[in-house]
Amino acid sequence: MKGLHTIFTAIVLSLVASIAAAHHGWNGNGEEQFELTGIVEAPVSLSGPHATMKIRVGEQLWDITLAPPARTERAGLQEATIPVGAKVTISGHRNSDPKRFEVKTERVTYNGKLYNVYPDRE
Amino acid sequence: MIWIEGSALGDAIRASGVWAYGVVNLVHIAGIALLFGSMVILDLRLLGWRRELPLTAVTSITVPIASTGFVIAALSGICLLSVNGGEYIGNPFLPIKIAAIALALVNAVALSRLSAWRMKQSVESAGAKMHLAIGGGLSLLFWSIAICAGRMIGYW
Repeated sequence: MKGLHTIFTAIVLSLVASIAAAHHGWNGNGEEQFELTGIVEAPVSLSGPHATMKIRVGEQLWDITLAPPARTERAGLQEATIPVGAKVTISGHRNSDPKRFEVKTERVTYNGKLYNVYPDRE
Repeated sequence: MIWIEGSALGDAIRASGVWAYGVVNLVHIAGIALLFGSMVILDLRLLGWRRELPLTAVTSITVPIASTGFVIAALSGICLLSVNGGEYIGNPFLPIKIAAIALALVNAVALSRLSAWRMKQSVESAGAKMHLAIGGGLSLLFWSIAICAGRMIGYW
């Protein structure tokens, strides 16, 4: 029984360690800065684990993932700040999977105003 | 997934302000802490640790706390899914987590039906010890997989 106990304790510890190693929110995104200018199709939503919006660039609809809702709001970006149909420029890091059109976004520029949701990531 | 995202529950949480998701998430983790914290104690006892403690004494404390934790985690988990259910389509960690929870629950029911579990005397036979240890080991394994897969959902 002592052996079994040791084995299962080891399994639990190694699983816990694997979580700690993987705990990086920017891991699935490209290193290089990625910029897009497009038309807002779904406005900023301040719900869920991260605030989101959708913008269209030509034929392609892009998922824009912002900071967590409270942080996005502190950066001055409310749900009603940018209307649907407005032109915005976003800057961040694209999902490393080329089949996914998603950008984890640090900055949004609309109407000459910069909304910096990750000011510590310059 | 689309259905749960379109539900009134999802609408209500999305409309509850910027901290709503974080608070529901916190409740989910509190439920998991109650569940897993008490299951570790029970499972290690089943595996043979601190066998001098009567099994019924250990179960009388751990089972109610674990059950309460499970209910809290399950209800808050449904709330979390309702906020953005569509996002999880194609995420492999969610089905792994659900399967691990199902296996853990089946294992718990099987354990509770063992004669070794129901027997009240503190002295366990060799066969009973082995059955309880297998049940405890599987429980620890399934709940650990559920927690790890659950955490990884957000990193897919």
